[in-house]
Amino acid sequence: MISVLAIGLVVVTSLVVGIYGVRAARSTSDFLVASRRVSPNWNAMAIAGEYLSAASVLGLAGLLLKNGLGTMWYAVGFCAGYVAVVALVAGPMRRSGAFTVPDFAEYRLGAPRLRKLCGFVVLVIMLLYLVPQFKGAGVVLALVSGTPYWVGVLLAGIVVSGSIAAGGMRSATYVQAFHYVIKLLFIAVPAIYLVAYAGPEVRAQALHPEWGTHFPETTPVEFTVDTRFGLDEPVTVTAPDGTTIDLAAGDHTASEGTRYVFPEGAAVPHPQGLPDLGGERWSTPLLDSGGYPLFETWSTLLAITLGCMGLPHVIMRFHTSPTARTARRVAVGVIALLGLFYLFPVVYGLLGRVLTPQLVLLQGTDTVAVVLPAQAVPGSAGTILTALVAAGAFGAFLSTSSGLLLALAGGLSHDLFQGSVPRLRLAVAVGACVAVLLALPAEAIDINVLVVWAFTVAASTFCPLLVLGIWWRRLTLPGAASGLIVGGVTATGAVGWSILLPTPPGWATVLLAQPAAWTIPLAFATMMAVSRLTRPPDWAEHAVLRLHSP
Amino acid sequence: MSPRREKLTSPQTRIALARGNRPAQHLLPIPEPVDTEAARRLFRIQRRAAVRTVSLLSLLLFGMSGSFALWPVLTQVRLGGVPLSWLLLVVAVYPLLFLLALWHVRTAERAEECAEVGRGKDDTTP
Repeated sequence: MISVLAIGLVVVTSLVVGIYGVRAARSTSDFLVASRRVSPNWNAMAIAGEYLSAASVLGLAGLLLKNGLGTMWYAVGFCAGYVAVVALVAGPMRRSGAFTVPDFAEYRLGAPRLRKLCGFVVLVIMLLYLVPQFKGAGVVLALVSGTPYWVGVLLAGIVVSGSIAAGGMRSATYVQAFHYVIKLLFIAVPAIYLVAYAGPEVRAQALHPEWGTHFPETTPVEFTVDTRFGLDEPVTVTAPDGTTIDLAAGDHTASEGTRYVFPEGAAVPHPQGLPDLGGERWSTPLLDSGGYPLFETWSTLLAITLGCMGLPHVIMRFHTSPTARTARRVAVGVIALLGLFYLFPVVYGLLGRVLTPQLVLLQGTDTVAVVLPAQAVPGSAGTILTALVAAGAFGAFLSTSSGLLLALAGGLSHDLFQGSVPRLRLAVAVGACVAVLLALPAEAIDINVLVVWAFTVAASTFCPLLVLGIWWRRLTLPGAASGLIVGGVTATGAVGWSILLPTPPGWATVLLAQPAAWTIPLAFATMMAVSRLTRPPDWAEHAVLRLHSP
Repeated sequence: MSPRREKLTSPQTRIALARGNRPAQHLLPIPEPVDTEAARRLFRIQRRAAVRTVSLLSLLLFGMSGSFALWPVLTQVRLGGVPLSWLLLVVAVYPLLFLLALWHVRTAERAEECAEVGRGKDDTTP
């Protein structure tokens, strides 16, 4: 109940800050000029606030609990992306005067038709990014209010579209900056409290995964899907009707709806296909789900680091800086703010392995940050901490998804159709509906898998377009278009295949699940090869030099 | 009978109405640089800085993950009770990323300042 109140409070406060922000902006001479006067610090906070999504607040801790320490490479990639932004795109993008990537494509290559293609890629990226946000919101709402998952997703869709319609999200800067503070506080305060409260024994257990993972107390587990799991040692569990069942060491299958009560101190079973909780694969800090840890880690790092610069809603924000110089400094500020935030999710993952290992059996690890405080701290203190994390997670969902929805609607009405304001509203509603419909069957897919999909597509399409457009004067229109198509199709198709269809075993699985290592070079190579075959216009060099002149 | 009322609008409004729903043309025109050679020089300096930063970034990310794969001992060695590789990945990497970005900004801004000073000299010479 407290959690629902806290979430409501975050929603209402963001609306109030938003409406106040609109008024403040209107009282100055002009809305646009005012937004360009936003100070670098506010701007950096707003970018960080919009960027830290459900993937960071919920997904990281959950995946860390499930797959191990390697998960933190996602956080490093999310942060390192801004180093690439500083080095390659922040300044020149600001000087191009383009608000969005399609605008930039039109500036650099002078072709309105390329704008439509870019607008379509924006749609794909934004939808892939929106779905996990809705999933996160659905999971959190379902958890704190006890409603089914689909109700949570639907409610989240209504809340976001409603708040955009009310206009509260328009003055994004202040709302997003406010959300950064909310997210940081609401994840940091419970984390610090949990570490202090846990006591030396639990802390030592969290840092020594090789001691094994045991149920901290008598734990009922209800399997919601058919689950195969392995046991290292025999264990006696209790069924709901009171009978005891002896499970021998070895493999077992629990059918859907089975309820077992595991006794205190029993070793946690390993679900099939996941690394042993606390085993060597779990504690080695590399991403390893298919047996090729180094390739997987590098491919994911490439996708996230290079994908960051291709995210439409991130690029848009740099335009609110008055000069290219400030745009670069803002990006450096974002790195500091993100680095500070990413110190905390790891706490939930590490303590979660000791205190709530059953989430791995339930395939509900994305909820660990919300479940853990109530489980670890008994009484009202735990309830309040859980409410804080839930509200922070909902804030993450709210700020990111409203930013994404606005970018998506903007893409729909500005780049694909020549739209007006009513069309923009309609586009918001359509975008939210599609995202909700796609999020409904996505309950079992990890938030971070979906987010990395969006990053992979961005890195295989807009990253080559921006990098070559800014730093290579020979890029031509056919080159850019063919590279966009090749990169977009391969990246979307490969990850989609690995999620939705069975994959051939061995290398093929890894190459399909983590395709960035081959789709990004492929997109670059296509753009460069086709550009070499065609002639750039005479003014191409001016367009490039213009981007670098102070 | 009063004369027909005429709607008065500001010139800006008339322009806006005439333009209809077409998207605003906020894109800059692309003029030839004042001094093409100087602009090319600055471009090359900036490109060198960008290549250096991106190489260092790759070295940091790929080198760190590569060393975790090469030397599993990094996870066994403990610093203050925490495995060394965890500390590197979870804490130490962020200040390094920040310093790298800061260094790049310094380099890029210095290059721009130099270019501006150079252009200022050109303006004063007759």
